[in-house]
Amino acid sequence: MICCVRTPHPSLVAAWLTAPSLRGRPLILGGFAHERASVTTASAEARAQGVVEGMSLNQAQQFAPDATFQPVDEEATARVRQSLLLTLHHFTPDVAAGEDPGCAFLRLDRLVLRWPDRSRLLAAIGRAIDAAIRVRPAIGVASSMFVSQVAAAHATTTAPLIVEKENTRAFLARYRIDVLPLDDDLREYLELLGIKTIGRLQAISRPAFRRQFGQKALDVYDLAIGDDRRRLRPWRPAVRIEESEPLEPPVDNTQALQFIARALAERVSASLLTQGLGTRAIRIKLDQESAPALKIEVRFAYPMTTAGELFDGIRPRLLRASIVAPLERITLRAGRLEAAYVRQPGLLIRRDGFKESIADAVARLQEEYGPSLVQRAELRSDAAPLPDHRILWKPA
Amino acid sequence: MPDRLQQAITVLQTRFGSAAPRPAAPPCPARPTGIPELDALTGIGGWPVGRLSLLAGLRGSGKRTLAQHSIAAASREGPVAYVDMPGRLDPEFLSHFDARLDHLLVVRPKSMKEAMASVRVLARAGVDLIAIDLPRTRSSGLDAELPHLLHRAAEAECTLLLIHDADAEDAIRYYASLILSFQRSAWVFRRDGDLEGLQVDAAVVKNRLAPPGQTARWIIPYPIP
Repeated sequence: MICCVRTPHPSLVAAWLTAPSLRGRPLILGGFAHERASVTTASAEARAQGVVEGMSLNQAQQFAPDATFQPVDEEATARVRQSLLLTLHHFTPDVAAGEDPGCAFLRLDRLVLRWPDRSRLLAAIGRAIDAAIRVRPAIGVASSMFVSQVAAAHATTTAPLIVEKENTRAFLARYRIDVLPLDDDLREYLELLGIKTIGRLQAISRPAFRRQFGQKALDVYDLAIGDDRRRLRPWRPAVRIEESEPLEPPVDNTQALQFIARALAERVSASLLTQGLGTRAIRIKLDQESAPALKIEVRFAYPMTTAGELFDGIRPRLLRASIVAPLERITLRAGRLEAAYVRQPGLLIRRDGFKESIADAVARLQEEYGPSLVQRAELRSDAAPLPDHRILWKPA
Repeated sequence: MPDRLQQAITVLQTRFGSAAPRPAAPPCPARPTGIPELDALTGIGGWPVGRLSLLAGLRGSGKRTLAQHSIAAASREGPVAYVDMPGRLDPEFLSHFDARLDHLLVVRPKSMKEAMASVRVLARAGVDLIAIDLPRTRSSGLDAELPHLLHRAAEAECTLLLIHDADAEDAIRYYASLILSFQRSAWVFRRDGDLEGLQVDAAVVKNRLAPPGQTARWIIPYPIP
């Protein structure tokens, strides 16, 4: 079963967290009332007065003259969204962010042993979100992402709405077709035919629907009968591993630079080890005193963790870097993080279980030997019949 | 192999370990060459996977055309690479064999070191078949690299084809599991006088996986666009 957790728009939540006195009052986000901009989101009190998303702020002020107007705080909004997802991630790693910014999904199937009573689990989720972002969510539970999202949209903050798999069709049948992701043409067409509820849509057979509306519209039909084949794409909490060292006085000595890079590699390695991670790319940033910063990316065939391995990749690139001024700061950032499994050195088994993708391998070769080393050929049928014209060589 | 013989071998292997009898030629998976006659000639149904095969012969003997047949056949299945040291690869010619050019990586190295590094990395990354077209001049540095290369190819189950115009060096002959020697016996012309293909005599000079010494003759048609 999939659980959809629905909260107000994260930018609204962020505004409430900054100024709790705004709760319960009409609040419109998108800019100040006199600005030429549109409404990003509005509180339920403002919506009750007729304000909708996308409306101009001037118009919104005419509908809700006593509302508070504010620009969206992007950073605070991102923090709220991260906080919501992180809270759910504590329950299960099977968490996905919804397209609607206030929505998040989590798969409940693997939580049965830990939480045999589903109502307690849903109550715990509600409490945890309330503690994290000071908002009680509406929760819908169903067999697919779409149905759970519809359920959450019609649930209240006090009573989750649970739709068992066998009741999915009947549950959806009562709603208007507006809950489906319809384009304008299809919506108009359906309404002209008098199909205004999902129940009426379900009454049509699948082949008949395809004949009438085409293959592309079948996705909508499948959603209407509760068949949502979208897969839950797990969200992973952001991990940033970066180590930096200011160089005072600025360094122009390669030996000293290597020494500092080695120390930074050890610090990056320690951070990776504590989190059980390996990195497939180290991004080096060299801030020069009177020249633009140099950015170098070192790629690895395997996820590397130890300082020695990291430095073996970093050292030759540092020696080849075209440094034109003394360096003020060096920064190492671990990118493309993966779980660091125990690697088998190849003595006992033939393979160590790691595989580099062909695209990564080609990129690594091109970094080492130049972009023209590995190429792809493309035939140009419209060109003159000369080899140089007929074949377009491109770096792979 | 009869069950009783297999049981006896298992008992001997348990008692004596590596000193026990074992098959002279262990079974080796094969990748089809794209030409049924050549598949039959190799004795195992194609190029041995995870091993090195050498295609030797003078210029114009058809070995490169055969290799390109194999590249085209393999490109329809998955990623392939062509290490083009002499700079002779013509993708248009390859496309006439129905090769999928989007699956083909062409490596154009400036030195043998670059070529060998590319083959090692690409084999490791999962390229199914790599054809290495060597220059006529003596390929210095190859003999030292070959053991590492073969280790990688065996690990990654990558098929290596080596195309060599001149007589191959001892190291290549030693490490190759299959050596095919090609010789053009005749040109084949159409009635209107256009060149249609070539008649090739092929001989298995060395084969670690099946009995060597087989010979075959067939016509390789040139693709007509």
